[in-house]
Amino acid sequence: MSNVPVDANALPHEDPSTNPFAAFLSYLIPGLGQIYQGRIGKGLLFFVCVYALFFMGTYFGSGTAQIKTKVSDNPIVYEEEVYTVTSNVYLPDTAEQNNPFNLPRVLANLYNRPQFAGQFWVGIAAWPAIWQYVNYNRRQEHGDTFLADFQRTPSDKSLNALHTSGDKTLELAWVFTVVAGVLNVMVIYDALAGPAFPPGTDLDEATA
Amino acid sequence: MHTFLPNHNLYFVELPILIVLISLVYSATRFDEWRPIFLEALRWGMRLVLFLFFIGFVLYILDRIT
Repeated sequence: MSNVPVDANALPHEDPSTNPFAAFLSYLIPGLGQIYQGRIGKGLLFFVCVYALFFMGTYFGSGTAQIKTKVSDNPIVYEEEVYTVTSNVYLPDTAEQNNPFNLPRVLANLYNRPQFAGQFWVGIAAWPAIWQYVNYNRRQEHGDTFLADFQRTPSDKSLNALHTSGDKTLELAWVFTVVAGVLNVMVIYDALAGPAFPPGTDLDEATA
Repeated sequence: MHTFLPNHNLYFVELPILIVLISLVYSATRFDEWRPIFLEALRWGMRLVLFLFFIGFVLYILDRIT
């Protein structure tokens, strides 16, 4: 090992134990576990990067589309309907429609929308989707008064309207949110057990 | 659809952001000091860009010969 000076961002190397509480904090809010451990700069880096990915993905995956539909034989009479998708982070209850392996209800829903299995790991930011999933009522047009439609399963009509009026950005958008969640798994592990290479490791030695 | 960045090319806006942020977070999980974090992020960023260019080149060739 080389004698590279260790900066203030580093964990004490002589402490080999894991830190489940810091890992839990990093699950809740990306980087919070590292900040709790005193690695403030790195914690802020994780916080900014993971949340930037997640919320950019959420923003690009939402939107409003106006669709004109003919309401009579008159060619100049149209009805304009506005469709809105508030987020691409949601878990629809579709187990009854598709459950080829007879999985338990939640697993069947995750099988039908595997994106949420990645998005979940971003922590608190994905919890509204869980709340909406648990309290979903197909007969109600909107969610409850607190969250309204945020991270609520959108209607098929709204999704179709947005897909037909948009471009490939909608597809890339959910990739952003899934990547954010999966990266946060690595952040959680960093809070649990420290970095892959201990402080002072030479870069060439580590990547050889 | 969006007021922010309307009609933009996603290959020049979203894709570079995705590459930079993934490289930074991945590198920061491997090291604790800033210098190796940024050097490793630079390496991974370049690897990702080269990989994407390679995929693009292969698709271009396939498009030309089919």
